[in-house]
This record gives sequence, C-alpha cells and structure tokens, in this order.
Amino acid sequence: MSVAESLAAARPRSSRAVAFLVFAVAIALIAATPFLPNYYIRVIDSLLIYILLGIGLNIVIGYTGLLDLGFVAFYAVGAYSYALLASPQLDLHLPFLVILLVAASLGAITGILLGIPVLRLRGDYLAIVTLGFGEIVRIIINNVDWLTGGPKGIARLDKASILGIQIARPVDFFWLLLVVVLLAGLVAWRLERSILGKAWAAIREDQDAARGIGINTTNAKLAAFATSATIGSIAGAIFAASQRFVSPESFTLQESVLIVLMIVIGGIGNILGIVAGAAILILLPEVLREFAEWRILFLGLLMIFLIIVRPAGIVPRSFGPDKLIRRLFGK
Amino acid sequence: MTLVFDRLRKEYGQVVAIDDVTASFAPGLIHGVIGPNGAGKSTLINMTAGSYTVSAGSIALDGKRLDKLKKYQIANSGVARTYQNIRLFDQMTALENLEVCFYPSDVGGTWKEVVWPPYASARRDHRREKCMEILRFFDLQGHADAEAGSLPYGRQRMLEIARALVCNPRLLLLDEPAAGLNHHETADLTAKLAAQRSPDRITIIVEHDMDLVMALCDNIIVMHHGKLLFQGTPAEVQASTDVQLAYLGTANDIDDIRAAAQDRRAQLGIRTRRRS
Ligand SMILES: Nc1ncnc2c1ncn2[C@@H]1O[C@H](COP(=O)(O)OP(=O)(O)OP(=O)(O)O)[C@@H](O)[C@H]1O
Ligand SMILES: [Mg+2]
Repeated sequence: MSVAESLAAARPRSSRAVAFLVFAVAIALIAATPFLPNYYIRVIDSLLIYILLGIGLNIVIGYTGLLDLGFVAFYAVGAYSYALLASPQLDLHLPFLVILLVAASLGAITGILLGIPVLRLRGDYLAIVTLGFGEIVRIIINNVDWLTGGPKGIARLDKASILGIQIARPVDFFWLLLVVVLLAGLVAWRLERSILGKAWAAIREDQDAARGIGINTTNAKLAAFATSATIGSIAGAIFAASQRFVSPESFTLQESVLIVLMIVIGGIGNILGIVAGAAILILLPEVLREFAEWRILFLGLLMIFLIIVRPAGIVPRSFGPDKLIRRLFGK
Repeated sequence: MTLVFDRLRKEYGQVVAIDDVTASFAPGLIHGVIGPNGAGKSTLINMTAGSYTVSAGSIALDGKRLDKLKKYQIANSGVARTYQNIRLFDQMTALENLEVCFYPSDVGGTWKEVVWPPYASARRDHRREKCMEILRFFDLQGHADAEAGSLPYGRQRMLEIARALVCNPRLLLLDEPAAGLNHHETADLTAKLAAQRSPDRITIIVEHDMDLVMALCDNIIVMHHGKLLFQGTPAEVQASTDVQLAYLGTANDIDDIRAAAQDRRAQLGIRTRRRS
C-alpha cells in the first residue's frame, strides 16, 4: 500500500476522531457553563441567541439563496412583543409562554408581509429592499414613543417564568436557550431534508427551472421567510426577557450584517457552520476585549484570512448534520 | 389530437418569432420539430412550457388552455421539458435533482416530515425508489450522489431528460437533447427516447441531428422564419424540396441537411466544451 493510499484509508477514522473530539468538547462546555461566573454565562447566552438568529436567517440565505439584510426586524418584533406584553408600559403582564406564541405568530406574519413585496427580487435588489425594511422597522420603533418609548426604550420588563419556574438568572436563560437552539436547529435541519427543503435548494440553484418542475416558488419562498422570521422573533422575545429592557439600539443594521457574516464565515447553508461562525464572531471580541480597538482590526484580518482559505465557510455545506451523525454513530 | 396550437404567435418587439402557427400533436407519437437556426423552434417550446408569454393565439392540452396558466401550473398539468442550454440544479445531487420533482404531490406533508421522522423516511424512500428507477434507465445509478454540476456533459444531458421524465409527464418537450453529444451518446439517447414512448405521452423533440429525428419521429414539423413550412412523416419530409430549400437555399438532398446538422454539432461541441 502506498503512502497516499494508507493516508486515504486512515482519513475517515481520523475525521471521525475529530468529530468525536468536537462533540466531547461541546458536551464538556455545556456541562461546565453553569459553574462559570455570571459574566461568562451572559456571554454564552448571547452566543446562543446569535446561533438562534443564525439558524433562522440561514433558512432564507443558506437554504433558499435569498440575501436578506433586514433580519433584525423580526428580532425586534419578538423583543417588543415581550416588552409590550410583560411590562408596566401597557400594564400587561402575560405569561412568558403565551408571549412566545404571540411573538412567533407575529414573526411569521411580518415575515410574510416582507416576503410578498420582495418575491420578484433577487440578489442585490433583494438585499437593498430588505435592508430598507429592517431600517423602517427600527425607525418606526424609534418614533412611536407612546407605544415603544422611542429611543429611551422600555424598561422594567417582567421576570419570565415557565410553569411557575422563574427564568431570571443567566444560567436559567442558558438552559432555556440551549433547549430552544437545539429545537430550532432540529426543525431547520429536518426542514432542509424535507421536500420543501429540496424545493428551497432548487430555487436557490435556478428559480426558473424550479418553476418548470412544478414548484410554486411564491409559496415556497413565503414559507422560508415565515419560518425564518418565526425563529428570529422567538430569539427576540427571549433576548428581551433576559435583558428586561429593550431599546431600538439593539436592532440596527449592524446586527443584521453581523448575523449574515456569521453565516458566511461559518458555512452558508450549514447549521454546524453557524455555530462555528457565531463562536468566532461573538466569543473572539470578548476574548480580545483588553486589546480595545485593535480587536476590530484583528477580526477584520481573520475574516479576510478565512474567506481566502475557506471560501465555502469553516464547515462547508457538504459537511452538514447528517454527515456529523454518520461520522459519530454510523457505518 | 391533444396538444393544439391555434394561430399561435410570438413577437419580440419588431421580430416575429412565431407567425400564426396552427398544429396539433397526437399522443403515443414522437413529434420532431426541425428548421434552421432562428426558425422559432425553441420559442414554441418556451411558450408551451410557460417560460414565454403568448402574443396571440392559444395553446391547449386536452382542451385546457395552457397559455392562461403560470409556469408551475403548466408543469403540474403534466408538461415537462429540457432546455437548449442544460439547466440542472448544479449543487444538488443527481438524485435530489429528480427527488425535488415530487414537490407538488408531497409538499402538503412537509410539517409531518419535520415532526415525524418515520413518515419522513417512508416518503423519502418512496420518492427515491422512483427516482432510482429512472436513474437506472439512463445508466446514472452510479452517479446518484454526485453533484449534478460535476457530471460530464453527456451525463448532464441525460440527467436533465431523466428529471423531465421522473413524474411521468403527459407532454414531454425536449429542446435539442442531442446537442453536444458524440455519436455513441447520440445512439444511446435515440434508443432511450424510443423506449420511453408510451401511448399516453406526447413527445416533442426539437433537434438538428437528422439521423436522430429520422430514426425516432413519427411526425415532423418543419419551421422556417417562424412559419410552419411543412408537416409530414420522415419520408415525406425527406422528399420535400421546400424543406431542402429552407435549410440550405440550394440543397438538393437530405445529405446536405445532415451536413448542416454536423456543422451545428461541431459548433455546439465547441461551445459546450468551453462551458464545462
Ligand atoms: N428572448 C428573446 N428576445 C428577443 N428575440 C428573441 C428571444 N428569443 C428568441 N428570439 C428571436 O426569435 C427568433 C426565434 O428564436 P428561437 O430561439 O426560437 O430559434 P430556434 O429555432 O430555437 O433556433 P436555434 O436552432 O438556433 O436554437 C430568432 O430570431 C431569435 O433571435
Ligand atoms: Mg433553439
């Protein structure tokens, strides 16, 4: 056996080892998190929220191939749903789970409302119009003071609780977010594998040919916008509950761009990639905090480097959750 | 008489691409559409499949007006097509390219597929079984998991035809299926197209390769400058001086038409090699 052949034979086993290692590290991190100081748990909570946002946006960008730069609008819809329905602002104090349902439905509705006017747009045009949509939502929030508190935002939000269990400390949110992220990831992954997911991929590859095989692209795209926005909105509601304060500052264009970057750097169309992308873009700035403004430069360089060496992302589309599971447990 | 063009017309600004064409196509037969470059052959296919709108006249399949429908609705009425320039879903596997064709019948079960894995795998197995059957028919079973865009040109042509056939269409429209194929591949394609013939299916083939057309077609339509110049059996077409004139101006036998097709093939061969 030549060296090349034996290397080739060894490869599956070693990549299986890598898969196991990654899996073990993830489990260890999860197990260790509750014992960390609150500051670190908050960072991890925010990481999980970004992963959730990434999973949502990836449905539109990664699966369906539509560049949506206004995703933060849905995040805002969810956050303000919680802020208005569980605070002294309107003197409403609905239960957390009820608000999650309301936020999810409002998210789906706004997703479709955004989807309808942009159905005919693709590429740059779509990016610009969705960007405008995100800004419009933020500007509206900024200006309807009587409802949203304007730039001051809404403070003193209720403490969340689920079935009598209070969700208030960072570690409570950690467990909640972990469950929600796993659920959202599972739903997104199973959607991708479903017949609808195949249709999304076909639309991404060639929209016109997709119509030619009988796909109602209008419905398929609206389904993508709706599920994506639902996840974004749920992330917003949990975010608001964890901060117990919302203001328009959290929903700027920069946030949308950050989520897009996470997806592109991590691996477009791949949930595993989103986790990697979020880890880099959310955790690294924390780690580099002491280097102050240098960290922006460093992050920029890292991004350029990654785009050059791994143009398909850290974990490319072809290495999706199916592959990981097969590596870990299968054949 | 199940597919009917009635005074069909297509104008692109000043250009009249299809000029009042009336024709009908019976099921169970293979219909060839031939004619020089720019005669309007692709335009006919594109209008029938809903890629282009109709300027005037009508297209009806089994009495149902296709020209009033959206493209995806036309597909769901049993119309399947291939394109003059291959249009596969490049980053999807060969198998997925066919699987996605079951969208219209299966999309209603999407949420059930998401929440109930046994249902999802049952549906997927069902779909894939049908797809594998077609892939085997086109000798593509060994490439099921290869990305469509990475397949050799000839295989891509076959895969596109497989995709058109997977949902058992009532009307099959093929736009230059043999373009860019070598002799061996063309012979193979001819045999496969003959084998897919079924009493319920209307097959329409636009093609420059006269050997293929003459061998395969029961009925041939000759287009010239957007007009229907001639319609008849292969023998009648070969005997027609009108057809020869249309093709080469001075042509005096079918060999010249063949030569024109050869030229065309060479031309496409170069183009496709550059493409891939
Ligand atoms: N989208 C378009 N816009 C403007 N003119 C077009 C368009 N498509 C086709 N045409 C014109 O319509 C006429 C018929 O074109 P068509 O593509 O149907 O010819 P064809 O018979 O398929 O030719 P070929 O053998 O080269 O494929 C040509 O004159 C062509 O230039
Ligand atoms: Mg043509």
